[in-house]
Amino acid sequence: MAIRIEKTFQVQQPAGVVWIFLSDPRKVVTCVPGARITEQVDENNYKGSISVKVGPSVTDYNGEVRIVRSDPKNYEIEILGKGLDVRGRGSASMKMSGKLRALDEGRTEVTSVSELTVVGVLAQMGARVITEVSSVMFGEFTKNLEKRLAARADSPGSATDEAPKALNAGSLAWEAAKGIFRRES
Amino acid sequence: MIIEKTSPEVGGMGHSIKRKEDSRFIQGKGNYVDDVRLPGMVYGYMVRSPYAHARLKSVNTEKARQLPGVLAIITGEDLAKAGLAWMPTLFFDKQMVLATGKVLFQSQEVAFVVAEDQYTAADAAELVEVEYEELPVLVDPHRATAPDAPILRDDRDEKSNHIFHWEVGDKSATEKAFQSAPVKASIHAISQRCHPAPLETCGCVADFNKATDKLTVYLTSQAPHAHRTLFALVGGIPEQNIRVVSPDIGGGFGNKVPIYPGYVCAVVASLTLGVPVKWIETRSENLQSTGFARDYHMTAEIAADQSGKVKALRVKTLADHGAFNAAAQPTKFPAGLFSVCTGSYDFPNAFVEVDGVYTNKAPGGIAYRCSFRITEAVYLIERAMDVLASQLKVDSAELRRRNFIQPKQFPYKTPLGWTYDSGNYEGALDKALEMVGYSQLRKEQEEKRKKGELMGIGISSFTEAVGAGPAHTFDIAGIKMFDSAEIRIHPTGKAICRMGTKSQGQGHETTYAQIVAQELGIPASDVVVEEGDTDTAPYGLGTYASRSTPTSGAATAIAARKIRDKAKKIAAHLLECSEADLDWETGKFFVKGAPSKAKTIQEIAFAAYTNIPAGLEAGLEAVDYYDPPNLTFPFGTYVCVVDIDKGTGEVKVRRFVAVDDCGNVINPMIVEGQIHGGLTEGFAIAFMQLIDYDENGNVQGGSFMDYLIPTAVETPHWETGSTCTPSPHHPFGAKGVGESPNVGSPAAFVNAVVDALSHLGVKHIDMPITPWKVWNALKEKGVVS
Repeated sequence: MAIRIEKTFQVQQPAGVVWIFLSDPRKVVTCVPGARITEQVDENNYKGSISVKVGPSVTDYNGEVRIVRSDPKNYEIEILGKGLDVRGRGSASMKMSGKLRALDEGRTEVTSVSELTVVGVLAQMGARVITEVSSVMFGEFTKNLEKRLAARADSPGSATDEAPKALNAGSLAWEAAKGIFRRES
Repeated sequence: MIIEKTSPEVGGMGHSIKRKEDSRFIQGKGNYVDDVRLPGMVYGYMVRSPYAHARLKSVNTEKARQLPGVLAIITGEDLAKAGLAWMPTLFFDKQMVLATGKVLFQSQEVAFVVAEDQYTAADAAELVEVEYEELPVLVDPHRATAPDAPILRDDRDEKSNHIFHWEVGDKSATEKAFQSAPVKASIHAISQRCHPAPLETCGCVADFNKATDKLTVYLTSQAPHAHRTLFALVGGIPEQNIRVVSPDIGGGFGNKVPIYPGYVCAVVASLTLGVPVKWIETRSENLQSTGFARDYHMTAEIAADQSGKVKALRVKTLADHGAFNAAAQPTKFPAGLFSVCTGSYDFPNAFVEVDGVYTNKAPGGIAYRCSFRITEAVYLIERAMDVLASQLKVDSAELRRRNFIQPKQFPYKTPLGWTYDSGNYEGALDKALEMVGYSQLRKEQEEKRKKGELMGIGISSFTEAVGAGPAHTFDIAGIKMFDSAEIRIHPTGKAICRMGTKSQGQGHETTYAQIVAQELGIPASDVVVEEGDTDTAPYGLGTYASRSTPTSGAATAIAARKIRDKAKKIAAHLLECSEADLDWETGKFFVKGAPSKAKTIQEIAFAAYTNIPAGLEAGLEAVDYYDPPNLTFPFGTYVCVVDIDKGTGEVKVRRFVAVDDCGNVINPMIVEGQIHGGLTEGFAIAFMQLIDYDENGNVQGGSFMDYLIPTAVETPHWETGSTCTPSPHHPFGAKGVGESPNVGSPAAFVNAVVDALSHLGVKHIDMPITPWKVWNALKEKGVVS
């Protein structure tokens, strides 16, 4: 199951600030529902985990995150994430390319292209569920990112990385279901 | 062969008596395998592979074993020590019981957990830690023999994904006919991977008794005797110590013919633990790992003259068998009875090639409500005939009429080696066209097209080949495909009938009783039919491929006639006359010319135990093992009328007329029920069902969320009719029927849809015909934007 997700959104922060945040997996992960970084291996390699719950099915992935390419001049980054379900029920990998564009009034446009490959029990739910779930997760991510960046601007001192919030699985499944319904109705 | 109708009280052939089994089914009092509860019984649960192709690095059962209530965990390595990690399939291949080395399809069996209750077993299965290393996945059968394709079966000597090449027919004569033919029509059609999805999934209770050394297996089995023998041959258990009991079965459709790893694991667990072990599949396990059907990628070419008279048929097929060739079909036929693909038409020449390949998908393919690949064959020829008709601008009914095998040509030898027993194809076509009002519908279609509305009429004039044996041609794993019946008449004139077949909803308890009623005049209500217990029933090959009536039905009639022969001797003794002076009429022997001097079958039965003539054995019973001289060839014509919504691409089946000819009918109501069921399944295949895989080998049709089952809401109204052309070689002129509607209908649905769109230039749409596909076809042709 391979899914391509393209998203463009704006944040009320200058590109430089956004870049510092987005180019650091330890920071980014705080915006990803259910995800955490457990270890930094070296400058570009990290270990982490993510928990995804779709309806009754919980999948915990353990894996690695690698910064494949980072171009601070052009604000471009390419990140590769690979994870194995801890109970051996499948795997997932994601290749994400991100690009920032400075807009006027100190705003920044974030463009990302993600290619997600899911293998195993979760993938049996089919593209329509996985796409919706990914889309909902991405929405949460964007919201969290904006919140984090705003918090950073308000009081830079308080921007220590708080523990990732557990994903609201119930609402996730519900949002996904609504998404399917919207599309087909 | 005309069958004299008995009184309704006797309830012989042709009476629509109510099904005896239904009184328990409609009360919810059937006894299915999951209803079997034995003292001390424990439960098994399967750990399955999430990957379609991966190396198995380790299976760690430590954590799972520590869960309270867990009794045993069996892995592939454990089975390998006992030489049981692999088992033979029904078709010259072997299949992993539990994986060793690597896994070859998603949901493949990896470990078997046994616990005190099914919840603990399921929880423990989650705790089994399996380490995999993902390998490149092969999903597309067309890529199976590509140089860069991963080799899936490294256990085989032959390092290739190619399983077999099979060809039949006269290649050079066919080529020659094609060279000189002025008209050629061709089609590429996929008979997609689908699944029988019986209401009841597969399962078993294995009960090994250490005190008696006896193994009893309660099993969802369409072929209990064959399974007993296979358990004996593969497991090394003496066959007299194995008893297979098939209780009530909630639908089989071919899905319950193979032996599955879960059965073997439950048996091994019971042998190990000495207690009964129950294993019942979940719905997803059933859809994802047990015998799928079809997955034939076919090309047919027809050579014809300008008038549309066919000259030759050439067929090339790629068969996707998944990870193991677990096809359930007679051993001489790697592609089953696919070579009946010349259908109802008088082809002078034909040549067929089939190549089977492995892919990273669940193993199969079984005969889903069809006599071994006949659905594929019929679908192909009936689509191809429509393509030819469309190309020549000849009405599709007329083109069929021009090419039908004529009644006087029977027995008819096809260019691919079959001998059809009897048929009147034009008779069935005429009746169906009349019932549906064909010419009026064509006029309506013309008018609708002028208004831009989409309406189509599809015809399928199919011929089925059912009822295997004969034994000289057909065997399953070496066991000849005869079948059996044993009838015992009790002193009070009532009877019990035991069979080698096994009903899964076909109504055997009623229909076999009606055969006895017809032959002996004992009311059907006085005859009990028992099937499925190998300790009591005579040996038989089971129920699939519409073979019960052609084989065990015949055996029942022959056994009844043996009883009648003995009854005549007793009647002569009782009436103090010679046998030659006696005549038979339903239920009694009487002295010729003196009808009042008579003895009923009941009086004779009593005498068989109380007043036996000197020199005659006591009792009144007989057994018959019937080896049919040929298959039977039921046929029919189906006409489907559809309307298509241009805006949504939704196809609405407005009418569906099914005219079937299965020779003499035992119970018209049961036949009609069979037709309704098969048409509904055919409808689902045509419009709804596909076991799909994504590029990583993830199953995309592995639950009822994605694999759709038609409900009363979707199911069209069926209009049924019949003609009667008895089989000349069957003891009472019957042919099988249960599968005809599934075999014949998909082509009628697809032909109707393509007919509705043909004026737009649409030549074919592969099944399942979803609104999305139709809408895209309309978009492509510029009808919608």
